Parts: sequence; C-alpha cells; structure tokens
Amino acid sequence: MSLADDIGPDGGGDDLVAAEYVLGVLPSDERRQAALRIDAEQAFARLVDRWEVYFAPLGLGYADVEAPAGVKAAIDRRLFSGAAPGQAAPSAPSLLSSLAFWRTLAVVALAALALYIALPFFGPPAETPRERLVASLAADGSDVRYLAVYDGRTDDIGLSHVSGAAPQGSDFELWVIEGQQPPVSLGVIPQGASVRMPVTEVLRAKIASGAVFAISVEPAGGSTTGAPTGPVVAAGDLKAI
Amino acid sequence: MTPQDITKLIVRVSMKDRAAFDALYRETSSKLFGVCLRVLRDRGEAEEALQEVYVKIWTKADRFAVSDLSPISWLVAVARNHAIDVIRARRPAPADIDAAVDVSDPAPGPEALAVAGSEGERINNCLDELEKDRAAAVRGAYLNGDSYAELAERFSVPLNTMRTWLRRSLLKLRECLER
Repeated sequence: MSLADDIGPDGGGDDLVAAEYVLGVLPSDERRQAALRIDAEQAFARLVDRWEVYFAPLGLGYADVEAPAGVKAAIDRRLFSGAAPGQAAPSAPSLLSSLAFWRTLAVVALAALALYIALPFFGPPAETPRERLVASLAADGSDVRYLAVYDGRTDDIGLSHVSGAAPQGSDFELWVIEGQQPPVSLGVIPQGASVRMPVTEVLRAKIASGAVFAISVEPAGGSTTGAPTGPVVAAGDLKAI
Repeated sequence: MTPQDITKLIVRVSMKDRAAFDALYRETSSKLFGVCLRVLRDRGEAEEALQEVYVKIWTKADRFAVSDLSPISWLVAVARNHAIDVIRARRPAPADIDAAVDVSDPAPGPEALAVAGSEGERINNCLDELEKDRAAAVRGAYLNGDSYAELAERFSVPLNTMRTWLRRSLLKLRECLER
C-alpha cells in the first residue's frame, strides 16, 4: 500500500514517511529504507529531526530503570578491546554490517569535522604548539547552535554556524563570561556559515582561564548597554583539544 | 546534571573522550534502559539493546550537532529508534500483546508530565484535538513501539484502515503543530 492510495499526492509524501518513521509504526523493510534515506538525504533527515522534536516531550515520560551491572563493561569490551577475535559477535549479520557502516561513517565524519576545525588554522608552522580550545554553543529550547574554536596562535575566534537564525531586525552577540564576572562582549556575530571574530589582549586572558561563551539576541547592531539585553540562545564552555 | 552538562559530554564523546563517555553512561543509562525496557518488554533483550545504543552513541555522537533535539531527547531518540528496529526485526507480534499493553499504560505519570512541562504542552494539546482513540493510537505507537499490525489488532480494524487512520491523524497533528 502506498501513500497515494490513501491520502493522495498532496498528502505529505516524504514528511508523512518521516512522521511514521519517528512514530515507529513502519514495517521492518520500510523502516530500513527510511533509515538509509536519513543517512543519504539531508532534506529527509531534517524532516525526521523535526518530527523527533515535535514528539520528544512524550519521550520524557519514560521511567528510569537502573541498567543491570555489567552492561557498561560489555560495551567497553566491544568498543575498546581492539580487534580481539570473537569479541564482535552480534547475532544478526545485518547488525554487523550496520555497525561497520556506522563506524566508518563516524570516522569519516569526525575526520571531516577535525579538518573543518583545523583548516583555517594551518598557517605557517609555529615554533611551539599553542593552545586550541573548542566550544559547542547550544541551549535547551533553542535551535541556535554554533561551534566556536579559539586558537592561541591567531588570537581570533572561528565560529561555525550550525543552525538557528536571529529574528528579523536583530543580531546575535557573542559574550565571554568568566566565573561570576559580568559578561564581556566580543561583538556582534557577522552573518555567514563560518566567520572570525578578533580577540583583544584582555579577553585572551579570560578565555585562557576557562571562560564560558554565550550568545544572546540583541537589537540590530548589538547591545547598547554593554550587557546582554535579550535571551541567551546558546552557551558552552571551552575545552582544550 | 543540566542539559548543558549533557551537551558538553556528548560533544566530548564525539571527540572520542572516554572519560566523557563513562560519565555520559553514568548519567543517562537508567533513562535509556527504561526506554529499551518499555519498548522491548524483555530484560534480556533490553540489556542487549542498551549495549547497541551506547555503541551507536559513541560512533555517531557528532550527529548531535546537526539535530535540533535537546541532548536528553537526542539520546532517547537513539535508544527508542534502536529498540523499535529490534522489535520490527523480530517475529511479527507477541501473542499476548493486549496483556503487555495493559502492563505498560501509555499515559505518563504525573511526575513525567510535570517534567514534560510547557514544551510538552504543544504536542499534548494537539493530540487532544484528535479523536480519543486516535490520540491513544499515536501515543501507544510512540511510547510502546506498536506496529501498524499491532494497532490494527487492538482497534479491531483492517491493517490498511489503521494506516489510513494514523496518517490522517499525523496530518492533523502537523497542521496543529505548525499553527
């Protein structure tokens, strides 16, 4: 039975399949097809993610049940004990191939991410390695996500825009917060998928001492008070990499 | 742990940080085991599924960055989708589906509803706009992983009718959620 039999050509197509996938009702073969499409088609993956977001509050109703002892050790054996013979022996062959698939994909994605982060920083070789810090900026209930990379060698911050847009007539402003100190502005974040923001001497010390980055929504051009005036839509602390 | 702490752990796991992976397991495994158990209704299977789920989390943590889900919801989605893969792949349906469904009432308890709070309002309000049995079918599918075949049996309608029903319900839900 196809969608067209039921609902007609305008009935939702891919979006309904995405909804059925998230709900979990699809028969095994259709579910597998949908899973392959999530990996291969970004547009379809976004439809699925949107339905996951819609339904996610229902998922908070699952009760916690303590996991049996020994599960973590079994996971660690599978992931970290190298290629010891007989270790990876899940029963179904389809599972094996899918695991191999995930691993390959993850390695490729991670390599791509690492390259993405590192590429802008491959300047002339430095004599001593300088500190490099990364922060994933996000917040619950907000779709704004940035990946921030600070490189002690270039003294600027690279910002990769992952998702979320500032409302019409407003800008995102980047703040650095050190402990209980008031936030200090790093300026309005320029538009673009990948942007750089300069860092002054004073802020460099704050960043190096383990500060937190936060992004707030401000009137176009940035806060006029010197402090955040709008909601904080993403935040995260810096980790050395 | 705040959602932001969980986010940090997931980001560190995507960078293959084992200490972060250990902490993430400590903080979230009881939630995810609850998900596996609810869907699979078998401790042995749920235990095996939980292993697979954390293997997936280790290998695909980088995907969290492109999801709009909150960190806990993203982890629940990984667990739920895996558990549903497992039941779809196994034999058609347990014989005593009705009994099993009675045990696991699809309605979350008051505490869970409180947790869901205002973000849960929208989906719950929109489900309330559906006819009662259709809303129950959607909730049951989401929380218990009921298949079309199981839902058709429970509501005593042919499979195709069930699918038409549910798709119409999803279209109505979408209309309400986007309103």
